[in-house]
Amino acid sequence: MDHNEQQETTHKPVKRKEMSRRQFLSYTLGGAGAFMAGGAILPMIRFAVDPILQKKEKGAFVKAIEESKVTSEPQQVDFKVHQVDGWYESDPKMQAWITKDEKGNIFALSPVCKHLGCTIGWSGEEAPNLYHCPCHGARYNKEGKNLKVAPKPLDEYQVKRENGWVYLGPLEPNTRV
Amino acid sequence: MAHKHDPNEKIVFIGDSRVRKKDHSNVVPPDYTAFPGKSEAFIPNFLLKEWMVGVVVLVGFLTLVIAEPAPLGYPADPLNSAFIPMPDWYFLFLYQLLKYPYASGDYIVLGILGLSGLPFISLLLAPFLDTGKERRFYRRPIASSLMLVSLVAVAYLTWVSWNHYEHELEINGQIPEHIEREIKAREAIEKGLPRPVPGREKIAAMVAADDPAFTETMTKAQCIACHGAELEGANGPTLRGIGDVLSKEELVETITNGKANGNMPAFKDNLSTEEIDKIATWLSKQKAEAK
Amino acid sequence: MFKNMYNWIDERLDITPMWRDIADHEVPEHVNPAHHFSAFVYCFGGLTFFITVIQILSGMFLTMYYVPDIINAYYSVDYLQHQVAFGAIVRGMHHWGASLVIVMMFLHTLRVFFTGSYKAPREMNWVVGMLIFFVMLGLGFTGYLLPWDNKAYYATKVGLEIAGSVPFLGDYIKELMNGGTIVGAQTLTRFFAIHVFFLPGVLLALLAGHFFMIRKQGISGPL
Repeated sequence: MDHNEQQETTHKPVKRKEMSRRQFLSYTLGGAGAFMAGGAILPMIRFAVDPILQKKEKGAFVKAIEESKVTSEPQQVDFKVHQVDGWYESDPKMQAWITKDEKGNIFALSPVCKHLGCTIGWSGEEAPNLYHCPCHGARYNKEGKNLKVAPKPLDEYQVKRENGWVYLGPLEPNTRV
Repeated sequence: MAHKHDPNEKIVFIGDSRVRKKDHSNVVPPDYTAFPGKSEAFIPNFLLKEWMVGVVVLVGFLTLVIAEPAPLGYPADPLNSAFIPMPDWYFLFLYQLLKYPYASGDYIVLGILGLSGLPFISLLLAPFLDTGKERRFYRRPIASSLMLVSLVAVAYLTWVSWNHYEHELEINGQIPEHIEREIKAREAIEKGLPRPVPGREKIAAMVAADDPAFTETMTKAQCIACHGAELEGANGPTLRGIGDVLSKEELVETITNGKANGNMPAFKDNLSTEEIDKIATWLSKQKAEAK
Repeated sequence: MFKNMYNWIDERLDITPMWRDIADHEVPEHVNPAHHFSAFVYCFGGLTFFITVIQILSGMFLTMYYVPDIINAYYSVDYLQHQVAFGAIVRGMHHWGASLVIVMMFLHTLRVFFTGSYKAPREMNWVVGMLIFFVMLGLGFTGYLLPWDNKAYYATKVGLEIAGSVPFLGDYIKELMNGGTIVGAQTLTRFFAIHVFFLPGVLLALLAGHFFMIRKQGISGPL
């Protein structure tokens, strides 16, 4: 190749910090290799990490129960949310325990135990007036405060009241305890 | 090693299963001193040149990929009778070959085994069929000419097949689905609608479903027999969102005189002009909500 | 530090001769495009391998989103193509790469044929190369069905009809490939398995054999 010869003729007789021919070739080789690998793989990496860079859709509020039916005794309410998971759209059932406190504020707790994710129940024989988790006996009070086993209080749904109905939104950490 | 290690001790492998390097290889050694000209080391000298070619190819390839998105048609529909099947381009020659009378029908065995199987098998076994020492292609006329004839045949068959396909598309007034799909997607996006996903189009909701034009007049005319109880479409097309497609005048015309060679019957004898006008007015209100 | 790590491994496994053999072997002038421009025809084999590597990588990434199921396959492809960043690029690479592999392999085969490089002692390598060719065509055929659009469905139907007309065994071959009597859910999963596991496995084994033989026998001499 002529550029090899060029390489040699342009060699200056003065000894300076110069690359040897072999080093130069190795660096060019590394560069070309990196370009090829990068050109092919970078788009794929971006493709693979897309889920963490996708804009998270804010959960919509869903009509759950009439305001007048909410009492100071927790009530189990089933409701459906529309969920888009990639190419799969579904309407999974969700559950909430809805209660009115002394000031008349309505709050809704998630039934998922903060210990290991089992489903809690209200006021069984074992734990009157408490939330009880059947798996490892975690207990929460009416506000969702963790009393036993569980490390954190129960999550809370965002609540919106409109025209006499209670609307439930996305989950957030408990704000009451 | 559990016992005390003596630095001078020579380690001896017992039952050494490593393959010993043979000094004499019975295969031609990869030594090119007999070849004229300069040879050079694989890494880095030669590989660099290979990779320069690789870089050029990659850039060209990525340009193609960016310029031309991979095609995707409509979801597979086993009842679609209008679709013209088309294999990938590198199978076209075979597809075309098997259409010819001596390669299909009663002669299918000849077509499959003789015309396609035999050439492939002889290609696979080429070194055992062409056993002469001569390597230059112009000194082995039989092998070379067979190959050239096959190449011409493959190129010709591919060309004929593709031509035929384009011709059929033209006759049927079709455009390939993946192109049609892209055009529709672009149109939807220009209108500000969400990108349509074929097979998952949202059916527009009915507007003013309690209007007597629908509950009485259209029931009387038995529109729902073809267009579905909720106008979602059955034998006839859906009428939901028809207001986006046809104007009121066009709707009056369609109901009065029918359409599509009587597939949509003419209602001028069964309905009065007022009734037709009432229905057309109501139908023209059936527009998909703009999102 | 890398040097120490390398030495540590080398002491135990003696890996230097392995890569030295690959790195230091001499490449003759007649295949070097820098010496004779016409020697670029010797690049097609390497380019086939390069595109094959891209195919394997892009295929691996595509399966992160793709599902081989007749209800969801089409929508997962639609989703990854239009909703995922760079989805059109990655799918495009796999789609066009499939064609490019065939082109490159075709040119490579022609080069080997017309330079008579398949002659003794390299007969076995030619046979292995042809097997690679057939495996690639098989990959093309099985991959075509996976998006489950009309084109995929009908091309597969036609392909299986052709397989079904093979004398004696035809019906069995067809039913085996269909995974039943119709082109449907079981055909798709079957083709997916063949496309993603079976044929690539065979391909890698054949490629290893191909390269081993090239290294062992060297490149054929100049004409």
